[in-house]
Amino acid sequence: MKRRCTVILLAAAAVWTFAPLAAGQAYTAPRTPDGQPDLQGIWEIRNSPDKDIEKAKGLIVEPKNGKIPYQPAALAQKKQNEKNSAKADPLNSCYMPGVPRINLLEYPFQIFQTPGQIAIAYEYIHNFRNIYLNRKQHMEGIDFWQGDSLGHWEGDTLVVDVGDFNDQTWFDKAGDFHSDELHVTEAYTRTGADTLKYEATIEDPKTFTMPWKISATLYRNTKPNARLLEYECHYLAEQAAAKKEGK
Amino acid sequence: MTRLLSPIAAVLAIAALPMFGQPPAAPEGGRGGPGGGRGGFGRGRSPALPPPGPTPRMADGKPNMTGYWNAGMNGGAVFEVQKHPRRSQSLPAGDGAIVDPPDGLIPYQPWAAEKAKDNFEHHLADEPELHCYMSGVPKQIYVQFGFQILQPPGYIVMNWEFMHSYRIIPTDSREHTLGPNVHLFEGDSVGHWEGDTLVVDTTNLNDRTWFDTAGDFHSDQLHVVERFTMVNDRTINYEATMDDSKVFTKPWKIAMPLMRNLQPNYEIMEFGCIEGNQDLHHYLQEAGGKAAEKKK
Repeated sequence: MKRRCTVILLAAAAVWTFAPLAAGQAYTAPRTPDGQPDLQGIWEIRNSPDKDIEKAKGLIVEPKNGKIPYQPAALAQKKQNEKNSAKADPLNSCYMPGVPRINLLEYPFQIFQTPGQIAIAYEYIHNFRNIYLNRKQHMEGIDFWQGDSLGHWEGDTLVVDVGDFNDQTWFDKAGDFHSDELHVTEAYTRTGADTLKYEATIEDPKTFTMPWKISATLYRNTKPNARLLEYECHYLAEQAAAKKEGK
Repeated sequence: MTRLLSPIAAVLAIAALPMFGQPPAAPEGGRGGPGGGRGGFGRGRSPALPPPGPTPRMADGKPNMTGYWNAGMNGGAVFEVQKHPRRSQSLPAGDGAIVDPPDGLIPYQPWAAEKAKDNFEHHLADEPELHCYMSGVPKQIYVQFGFQILQPPGYIVMNWEFMHSYRIIPTDSREHTLGPNVHLFEGDSVGHWEGDTLVVDTTNLNDRTWFDTAGDFHSDQLHVVERFTMVNDRTINYEATMDDSKVFTKPWKIAMPLMRNLQPNYEIMEFGCIEGNQDLHHYLQEAGGKAAEKKK
């Protein structure tokens, strides 16, 4: 009885929530004090596609076949990576995951907005991304694990141009990889009070035959006083190693 | 960018600077000040600056601490937080940063004093930052390379280049909500304003961080109250009181100025500690090998 009531309530809530969309009206995000669409809050993906992004249903929206458009030599490399994944996945060494992988892990992150800078704090390995709204050009001659992020607003969508990557990160556990020519364009759009659409277009002329695109929904943690905790990967790895050693 | 600089190399490199251990540099010095090179603590003499301006303010009248800050040397606190004798050629004597008790020493319980001494003499390889751990509170404030303060609505957010760490401090006077068995490297911080002073109360810390590189330690019962008082447009007076009834005989307090980094177009870069550190591989791939050897 209790369950049935909940289902009915949820259904009612869903109809109410999606009514404006059904009527063709996009959700309008509230504004921050300086007038930006407000993306602030703690967000997290459900059912992380990190095991294999090609196998995660509906994640790769372009090309239509849902396959990463590898060049032939790169496809061979991907297969090799996949075979060695247990050892070679950079996350197994607790390295920074890169973009968009860090947004697709099943760990929450919190978005903060100030007039010239948006910051994303990740629970995963205590990482932090700064998105600069006023700088127009990427840095020259340096590369980053997490890339160099430049943001601007297109309507209610935050578009982040991420460049200056190194070639050390993967997209998932299945060995999907890129070169240091990687360029990612992210788009963050509020689609409801507690949902955020996350899209990333991935280009790398050294690795792919054409750009490809992912799309996912992030969900807000609505618990009162919600906060990020800590996932300290290398601390946990050391603890595990010490335990093994102690045997 | 990954700084291919292991923490120990950084410690050694900076400890070797001739000015290490001298009294704190003038507030206008520091890494970000004119003439202060990247990674240097007040290296070189800064040209005279115009007098500081009034404290900038947010729309709600609270001090606006947005910007980049650096704690400077403060008596060599990052290497040894208490008043200390010359330890070696590269670690000369220093006054540390303790203002209470007046002798400048940590009021350890007798067993804890023994343990701190043992840490220094025999266990410097356990220094948490060598293992790329987060620095903890309060040390995070006085680590190398400085930090940025962002002031989005309802929060003070601090982000560090060192270990790419961050602290998130809600300023809505909320209570601590984590259970007593949850312990974090950076703890649970809640803040409120007392006039122009941001007061931050931190609990739920773990016992895996040190106050410095010299083995000064605490338990997971450590409770820290920090006070950030902005006195002009380029100075925040910082104080932290440490209370830990398992380790100390009474609370003790450090104080130091945080100086604004005045370098134009400055940004925090990416610090790849674990990415450039070979130690973890020794632990992971040779567990029972290298690590076991150390135990013998």
